[in-house]
Amino acid sequence: MSLVVDKPRGQGWTASALLAPATIFIAISLFAPLGILFRYSLNEFVPSTKTMVEALTVANYVKFFTDPYYTAALATTIKVSLLVTVVCLIVGFPLAYVMARTQSRFKHLLIIATVLPLFVGNSVRAAGWMVVFGNKGFVNASLMGLGVISKPLEIMFTENAVIIGIIAVNLPFMVLSLQSVIEGIDRAVEEAAFSLGAPPATMFRRVLWPLALPGILAGTILTFILAMNAYATPFLLGGPTFKMMAPVIYNEFTQKTNWPFGGAIAFILMSVTLGLTLIANLLIQRRSAR
Amino acid sequence: MTVRRVALNTAAGLGLLYILTPLIFVTWLAFFRQEIPSFPPEGYSLHWFAAILDQPKFVDGFSLSFQVGVLATAIGLALGVPAALCVTRYQFRMRTPLASLLLLPLIVPGVVLGTSMYVFHVNLENTLDVDVLGTFYALVAGHVVIVMPWVVRLVTASLAGVDRATEEAAQNLGANAWVTFWRITLPAIRPGIVAGALFGFVTSFGNLELSLFLVAPGRTTLPIVILQYLEWKIDPTIAAVSVVQILLIAIAMLITDRYVKLARVV
Repeated sequence: MSLVVDKPRGQGWTASALLAPATIFIAISLFAPLGILFRYSLNEFVPSTKTMVEALTVANYVKFFTDPYYTAALATTIKVSLLVTVVCLIVGFPLAYVMARTQSRFKHLLIIATVLPLFVGNSVRAAGWMVVFGNKGFVNASLMGLGVISKPLEIMFTENAVIIGIIAVNLPFMVLSLQSVIEGIDRAVEEAAFSLGAPPATMFRRVLWPLALPGILAGTILTFILAMNAYATPFLLGGPTFKMMAPVIYNEFTQKTNWPFGGAIAFILMSVTLGLTLIANLLIQRRSAR
Repeated sequence: MTVRRVALNTAAGLGLLYILTPLIFVTWLAFFRQEIPSFPPEGYSLHWFAAILDQPKFVDGFSLSFQVGVLATAIGLALGVPAALCVTRYQFRMRTPLASLLLLPLIVPGVVLGTSMYVFHVNLENTLDVDVLGTFYALVAGHVVIVMPWVVRLVTASLAGVDRATEEAAQNLGANAWVTFWRITLPAIRPGIVAGALFGFVTSFGNLELSLFLVAPGRTTLPIVILQYLEWKIDPTIAAVSVVQILLIAIAMLITDRYVKLARVV
């Protein structure tokens, strides 16, 4: 690694000594594992003995795209992720705007309230939704108590439960991405639009939205990636028959011990996520360039 | 204008309520008297918090998560702080790509990171002929990967706000590089280090996807114990465990907030 420093000689050594341990550590613990996993994904798997046989084949990738069980899991994952991303943007924008513009001295508490759930862990948040959604849970008990329904609604272990759960998981990421960008937009440009007679909707469309676009882009991409990779929420709220990609990978890997196929699915998930993100990025940038 | 304001604030309030709903309900359940999570509750009780201690798996899981978190954070600081110093204070050709490399683990999906580290550990085990997979130190090494980016990110952010002139003044007055770092730079970036350490610790403590692949059966971290319990049933005991975790993390956040503006760093 060449660290060419445009400062006096000797500082190059200092810089290398400071940076090298961290860089080498990350490079080894990130790229070596990914490399091995990719190599494994080209191997063969013998189901009868549950062993991996050295090979150089794309059969695992072909198997994924030809088996409806797996393509359905991919389709569900993409559908859920797109829906989650759109809802997060709509629900998150007002909160991000108020958080960015508030003069309140409780602003830091607002931010803590948004950040705290992020670190509490997805299982705990799934537990909260189980209390809400269960047959005797809050929603069903309230609706039945009010006489709206006579028998409990099936909410747990449905796609809707998973979608509601993932939105709550991802919303803080969207809000924080939007909030940081909106904070950087000068209040005066909004006032200027208003004083020139723009109604709020026009001001939003012509001023706020274009200026906030970097944050919107960052937030939607982050939300989408996180939704594509969601594990705990679909696992706990979706039940055994609901299939999203991350739980499928885990299952192939640990339950079926099919490392080649599990590895292939992991790389398919990463590529699809990255591909869709890039396409969205290009589309949005082209539209905003007009 | 006021109607608009009320509408905006209501929409924002609903968004915040949505984020907090699962935490509110899990906290509520922890105080139910009956074991079944049915509404309305038959009464309230505190005894589920005492019941946590009767189940060694929660205590053991907490203890393992805590140890892994502390050690991974310490190593993350030892590697991350110098790296952050380097990428902010020196100009060199590979600076930007190397800085992004250090943040890369934040965006690699947890499940992919977990599976790939699992096969890596199996490979190491076969090559070196020592126990790697499922050992405490392998788990810690995995967690360092997800802790360090937070340290680098927060310390870098705080270094950007430090005026170089103070350091140069110290060196003009005869301080060597080490004294300058110890007496000038370190105190100035202490908030960033504290925030990086806390965020790193909390990330490690709450991590599920990576740990799932790296723990040995029977010796698991708290988030995995919670996941496995929830797969089976939901009751006030697990809710009480969750409340303890929420409280700990809330305290960590409030401490962090005293040192750095959270809005700036996340």
